[in-house]
Amino acid sequence: MRSRLVVLALLGLAAPCARAQAPAKPPAAINGCVDCHLALDDPRISPPAKLFADDVHAKAGFTCVFCHGGDARQEYQEDAHDPKKGFIGKPKPQQIPELCGKCHSDAALMKQYDPSQRVDQLTEYRTSGHGKALAKGDTTVAECASCHGAHGIQPVKDSRSPVSATKVAETCNHCHGNAALMAAHELPSDPYEKWSRSVHYRARVEKADLSAPTCNSCHGNHGAAPPQVGSVVNVCGTCHVTFADQFKLSPHWEPFKDMGLPGCVTCHENHEIVKPSEAFLAEGEQSKCSSCHEAGSAGARAAAEMRADLVGLDGEIRRAERLVDRAEEAGMEVSKVRFDLVAASNALTRARSEVHLFRPSAMHGAVAEGLAVARKAAAGGEARLKERDFRQRGLFVSLGLILLSIVALVVVIRERDRRSSPHPED
Amino acid sequence: MPEPSEAREGRLRAWARDRLGWDELAHMAAKKRVPVHRYTLFYYLGGMALFLFLVQVATGILLLLYYRPSAAEAFESVQYVMADVPFGWLMRSIHSWGANLFVAVVFAHLISVFFLKAYRAPREVTWVTGAILLFLALGFGFSGYLLPWNTLAFFATKVGTDVPAQIPGIGHLLSRILRGGSDVTGATLSRFYGIHVAILPAITTLMLGAHLLLVQRHGMSVPRSVEGKTRRSIPFVPDFLMRDMVGWLAAVGILAALAAFFPWELGVKADPFASAPAGIRPEWYFLWMFQGLKYLPSKIFGIPGETLGVLFFGALGAALVAVPWLDRRGRRGIAVAAVAVLTAAAILTVLALLPVPGAEKP
Repeated sequence: MRSRLVVLALLGLAAPCARAQAPAKPPAAINGCVDCHLALDDPRISPPAKLFADDVHAKAGFTCVFCHGGDARQEYQEDAHDPKKGFIGKPKPQQIPELCGKCHSDAALMKQYDPSQRVDQLTEYRTSGHGKALAKGDTTVAECASCHGAHGIQPVKDSRSPVSATKVAETCNHCHGNAALMAAHELPSDPYEKWSRSVHYRARVEKADLSAPTCNSCHGNHGAAPPQVGSVVNVCGTCHVTFADQFKLSPHWEPFKDMGLPGCVTCHENHEIVKPSEAFLAEGEQSKCSSCHEAGSAGARAAAEMRADLVGLDGEIRRAERLVDRAEEAGMEVSKVRFDLVAASNALTRARSEVHLFRPSAMHGAVAEGLAVARKAAAGGEARLKERDFRQRGLFVSLGLILLSIVALVVVIRERDRRSSPHPED
Repeated sequence: MPEPSEAREGRLRAWARDRLGWDELAHMAAKKRVPVHRYTLFYYLGGMALFLFLVQVATGILLLLYYRPSAAEAFESVQYVMADVPFGWLMRSIHSWGANLFVAVVFAHLISVFFLKAYRAPREVTWVTGAILLFLALGFGFSGYLLPWNTLAFFATKVGTDVPAQIPGIGHLLSRILRGGSDVTGATLSRFYGIHVAILPAITTLMLGAHLLLVQRHGMSVPRSVEGKTRRSIPFVPDFLMRDMVGWLAAVGILAALAAFFPWELGVKADPFASAPAGIRPEWYFLWMFQGLKYLPSKIFGIPGETLGVLFFGALGAALVAVPWLDRRGRRGIAVAAVAVLTAAAILTVLALLPVPGAEKP
C-alpha cells in the first residue's frame, strides 16, 4: 500500500513535466459537443459522437469545431451552434475537400503530427475524375469522407480503415459496383468483379501479397483517374519493368501509339488480367494476335513460331519433371537434377518475357538454353531410374546368393544334426 | 612321413600356437556349448545384435571417408555420398536402416533376457553391461540422427537437447555441454560427430568386451522353468554359429532390400533461422518419452511436469540397471519382484501405444 502511494505521488509529480514537454495541443480542448450529442441519444446525432472517440483526429486532440465550427464551450445549443462563431453544421460535399485540406495541405501543421504524411492530397484530388466532377457540382462523386469515413477515421495503415490495403478495393466498389450510379456516369460497374478474376486479385487476396495491385495501384488514390491510353505501358511498367522496356523496343510500340491502342491492355485486358498462356499466340478463342494479324500474315507466322518455341520448351521441361518425380518417388537422390529443372524453368520464364519484344529471333537464345538444361535434367532423371533398376536387379541377385547360402547352411546343419546324436550335458 | 603341405601346416600351427595361443582359443571354442531347450531361439538375439553392431561399424567407417562434420558441408557431403559415391547410397541406407534394426534387436534381446531372468546370479554384471550397452545404442541413435544436418534432425535435436535441461540443478549445464552452447549450432554437430564416432565407440568397445567376456565366463543361462529338464546341448562352433549365420544372412538380405526399395531419405538442409516445421519428432525409440513429456501437465504439485517426467525416465533407467538386485529383494518379498516386472510391462505398453499418435501428428 505504501509503495503504491509512493508510485502515485511520483506519477503526480511527473504529469506536469510530461504536459510541459508535449507538443503544443490545438486550442479548445474542451469538447462540450460530445457531451450533448451523446446525451441526446438521437440516431442521427449521437452515432458520430460515439465514433469520434476512436478517431485519429480525436486522439491527436482535435475536436468537432475544427470541421464543424461553433463553440464547444457553450452550454446552450444556440450559443454552441452560432453561425457567427463559424458553425457550418454538416459540411456539404463541395466543402469537404477544402475543409480537410485546411490542415492536410498545411505542411507546417502536418509535420507536428506525422512528418512523413503527404500534403498534396487536395491538389491531387482536384486533378481526379472525382474532383473535376465535384467542381462542376456533381455531388454523387467521391470526396474525402466517401472513402476515409467522416467520424471514426483511422490511419490508412490501420486495418480498420476502409482505405487500408486489404479494404480499398471493396471501398471503391461501393460506388463503382453500383450499376445505377455508374450508368449515370457512363462507366462500367464490373471492374471489381473482373479484378476478382484476375491474377492480381489471386496474388493479393489468396496469397496475401500486398505488393500485388489493387484499384489505387493503377488509378492513383486522391488523383484517381483511368490511366490514359498513352500511359498504360508506363503504369503497368511501374511493376512489370522488363515487359514495359521490351514492349517499347518491339515493332508494336509505334503502331500501337499511332492506332491509339492502350499498350498492355490490348492483349491482357485492364481489370480481368488472367494468367497469360501460349494460347494467346495461337489461333483460336484465346488468341490475342489473330485479332490484328490475319492467318498466314508475317505477324501470324511470327506468333506461331514463338508459340512453337515456348510449347516445345514447356513440353521438354514437363517431360523432365515427370522423370525426376518418378526417380524421387523411387527414393533416388535428385537434388542436382532439380537444380537443372529450376534453371530450365527460369529460361522458360525469360523466353516468355521476351515475347514482349515480338521478334521470334529474340527468344531463341533463352529457348535453346532452356531446352539444353531441360534435356540434361531429363537425362539425369532417366539415369537415376536406370540406377534404380540396376539396384533392384543387383538386389535380386544378392538375395538369390543369400538364399543359396542359407539353404546350404541349413543342409549342413541338418546333416550334422542327423549324424550327431544328442550330446548330454556334463 | 608327413606330406610337404601337412608339414607346412604343422609349422604354421606351431608358429601360431607359440605366438597367439591358438590352441587355447581353439580349445575354448570347442568347449563352448549352447543348451538346447524351448527358449534357445532367444539366444540368437545377442549374436544378431552383435552382428548388426559390426555392420554399423563397417558401414560407419565407409561413411566416415566422405562425411564432413560442419554445418556448411555436412548435408552436402551426405548428398554426395547418396548421389555420386559408388554404392554410397547402399552404405548410407544400410547404416540408417541398420541402426533402427540394431536398436530393435537390442530391445528384443534385453526383454527376452529380462523375462527369462537370465540376470540371475552370477550374471548380474553381465546384465548391467547389457543395460549400459542399450543406453549406448540409444546414444548412437541420438547423436547419429543429427549428422546429416537436415531440417527434421536439426529441430528434433533442439527438442532432444532441451530434455536434459529439465533436470534440476545441473540440467542447463548438461544441455549446454551437449549443445556446445546455448543453442543447436555447428558446434553441436561437431560435438555429436565426436560423440558418435569416437567417444561412444570407445566406451562401447570396452562394455561389449566386458559383456562378451562375462557371457563366455558364465556360459548361457538356462531359464528356471527348463532348468534340469534339458540335458541336450550343441557345440557353439560350428553348430550354433552356423544357425547364427542363417539369421545374419537373412538380416543382410532384409537390409539390402530396404536400402534398394526404400533408400533412407535425406530431406532438406537444416536452416537454423527457419521456423520449426510441422511433424518434428525423434526416432521411434525415443517417441514414447517425447510423447509422454507432451502429455504431462505444466505443473504437478507445483513442480514443472517436464522436470518430473525427466526424473521419472532417469529413475526408470536406474531401475533397469538395478533389475538383478530389485529381483533379489523380490525373492524375499514377492511384491517387489512384481513391481520390477510391471515396470518392464509398462515400458512395453507405452512403447506400443505412444508412438502411434506421435507418428500420426505430423
